[in-house]
Amino acid sequence: MSKKKYYVKRKKVCKFTAEGIDYIDYKDVDLLRQYTPVSGKILPRRVSGTNPIYQRKLTRAIKRARLMALLPYVGD
Amino acid sequence: MPLYELGLVLDNDLETEEREAFLGEVKQLLQQGGATVVKEDVWGKRNLAYEINHKREGYYVFWQFEGPGSVIKPLEYRLRLSDQVLRYLSLNLDRELRRARKMDKRRAERKAKAPKPAPETAAIAGEGA
Repeated sequence: MSKKKYYVKRKKVCKFTAEGIDYIDYKDVDLLRQYTPVSGKILPRRVSGTNPIYQRKLTRAIKRARLMALLPYVGD
Repeated sequence: MPLYELGLVLDNDLETEEREAFLGEVKQLLQQGGATVVKEDVWGKRNLAYEINHKREGYYVFWQFEGPGSVIKPLEYRLRLSDQVLRYLSLNLDRELRRARKMDKRRAERKAKAPKPAPETAAIAGEGA
């Protein structure tokens, strides 16, 4: 291909679509941690590649987990 | 009657008996309202992601119960008044799981309907690889 390309773009996949996870549980902290960097923010769709439907569910789950002190509102 | 999920974060400094007494009281409240606890999931002691009332540790309890929606109001009222409860969250699991169940059903139907195409696609994928 053209020489201007410096890196190979990795195809982003939605984990939830690929693995058929339909309900995102707020108690599943390990899963939610994958979508919250150390800062505690929610990873945007453009970075994670999550489908809109699941991104909304994910957001809700993360916010619930925050309420229950499973995830921090503000990270380090 | 819908299925509900109740999540509780209790004060970890409490004595075990005190906590058991409180949980028993909550359970009684549920039973009075015509609800039955279906599943209990006790995580126990866990570090909080942030301090609540100057406490760093909480005692996590999750229950699933089936009952009329009318139990929720007195239940949350009781939890709100208690000093032992740091956080609580009650969810209607039927509503939460509606899509998941629908998708499961659809997948099962698709599988039952067309068992033949599966090996074909597998063969194509095999050729590609």
